[in-house]
Amino acid sequence: MNGGPVKVSGDAGKRSARLAPAVSSALWNAAVLCAALAAWQLLTLVVNSRFLPGPVAIARAFVDLAVNGDTGGRTLWEHSVASVERVLVGFGIAVMLGVPLGLLMGLYGRVYANTRVVLEPFRFIPPIAWIPLAIIFFSGMTRFAFLIFLGAFFPVFTAALIGVRRVELIHRKVALVFGASKGWILAHIVVPTVLPDILGGMRVGLGAAWLTIVAAELAGGISLGLGRMMSNYAELVQVPQVIVGMILIGALGFLMNEVLLLAEKFLFRWRWQVTL
Amino acid sequence: MTGAASLGARAAPSTSKVEVDISHRYGPLVVHEELRFSVMENEFLCVSGPSGCGKTTLLDILAGILQPSEGQVLIDGRPVDPKRDRISFVFQEPSTLPWLNVWDNVATGLRIKKVATPVMRRKVDEIIEIVGLRDYETYYPHQISGGMKQRVAIARAFAIDADLILMDEPFVSLDQPTRERMQREVLHIWEHRRRTVVFVTHNLEEAVFLGDRVVVLSSKPARIVAEIDVPLARPRNPLSHEFTHIRATCADIMHTLGVRPPRNATIPKVTS
Ligand SMILES: Nc1ncnc2c1ncn2[C@@H]1O[C@H](COP(=O)(O)OP(=O)(O)OP(=O)(O)O)[C@@H](O)[C@H]1O
Ligand SMILES: [Mg+2]
Repeated sequence: MNGGPVKVSGDAGKRSARLAPAVSSALWNAAVLCAALAAWQLLTLVVNSRFLPGPVAIARAFVDLAVNGDTGGRTLWEHSVASVERVLVGFGIAVMLGVPLGLLMGLYGRVYANTRVVLEPFRFIPPIAWIPLAIIFFSGMTRFAFLIFLGAFFPVFTAALIGVRRVELIHRKVALVFGASKGWILAHIVVPTVLPDILGGMRVGLGAAWLTIVAAELAGGISLGLGRMMSNYAELVQVPQVIVGMILIGALGFLMNEVLLLAEKFLFRWRWQVTL
Repeated sequence: MTGAASLGARAAPSTSKVEVDISHRYGPLVVHEELRFSVMENEFLCVSGPSGCGKTTLLDILAGILQPSEGQVLIDGRPVDPKRDRISFVFQEPSTLPWLNVWDNVATGLRIKKVATPVMRRKVDEIIEIVGLRDYETYYPHQISGGMKQRVAIARAFAIDADLILMDEPFVSLDQPTRERMQREVLHIWEHRRRTVVFVTHNLEEAVFLGDRVVVLSSKPARIVAEIDVPLARPRNPLSHEFTHIRATCADIMHTLGVRPPRNATIPKVTS
């Protein structure tokens, strides 16, 4: 072409330019975390109450729970695995049903228009409101999977449903002119367009899943799970152990969110970033 | 057509490849009313007409992706079917797929047509070289310019060996030198392997430079108000006397446009 490889500005020296912000962001986050912990520890020194443990006391409780386990001898690891397992099963089912249903109803608007009177009200019943029924009907994993599914399904389903509207007529035309089948258009035009919405919906759904699992575990009838553990220690008025559970839930949710963010970064290299 | 044949610039078009006989309306809006014409086998037909007269709509119908309200389009005597007929379309609006890089965008048609991978690789590389995007193969559409995106769309259309090529003002977003180069390239590809082309343009110079024939449409409902043969051998010289004469004729017709020709009016047929 005229002039050959004229580099698009901003793309020269891609590597170093991309790495630097990531490193600086990590450093910033570490610094902010340290500052927050220090401020907290300082506050506990001022207040000095058994009900406001500092980071040091919580770290001690964490190590104790991790090594020796709780009053029943169950370690933090066992509690975490139980909760994570429930979240993944319920969330997985929500994604596996929410995405295809959302796409189907988005593509065939009449299906949604004609069924939404049954579908939509469920969105407004909080999953927590299902706990009493779930306790009567289900037990064990089924109960948790059911409740988490209720929490995570709608964010994913709605994201896919709405995302379909974003498919551009011209992109469909491109495929149609070459004689593409419906399946091809679904896989290569609709899905790539909607995928960013779906991943966004999954991140919202994941939040809802954690919200639900802890509430469901508090309800009792089981011995494992972070919610269960917190509930036990709350009855014993042992605040550090309760806070350990809270922090762990935050950290696990954060990690899962990071995995989804990483997937987004990898999948949507084609997207541009708007800044104001 | 007589002129083109007598000059012997190319083999005389014999069979008609595309036969159009359609009426089309969007709701109450009548776009085409009994629009009838045919395109000869391997003919390069240019279509011009006022904005909003229904040229894009016509191409959509020709491509078989829009069903006309009445009538049909026949290709080699059979109703057009994009699944069977090899058709490519360069759209007027930006049409690159943002989630694919330049190379994969160009390969789209070949993938849909299930062309074997080695053949696909060769064809994509070849056409990317021709449109001058070799250094941008891995760029995504948001990283390249508007004109480059249009070249991606042109390359995508030419990558499949289409029998019918539809182009909707494909070069408007390009600068003059690039536009001229792309015009020569399109002619080169077309002369290398003849096929039927319908090319929409507002630019009369471009129409006369490229086409075997220029069809001028009236405003809605679109009817053919003029049909001008361009019996000049290629490569054409836009400065030659014949060229400027034909262009002036087209310009005159375009000038008087907007005036709807009376029904059954004889269409001025200009042959030089
Ligand atoms: N999907 C649609 N629904 C309703 N009306 C439409 C639709 N597409 C096009 N039209 C109308 O049909 C007419 C012809 O449109 P078309 O895009 O074919 O014009 P055009 O000749 O390509 O114009 P231009 O030269 O500006 O590209 C216009 O009046 C437009 O408003
Ligand atoms: Mg148009």
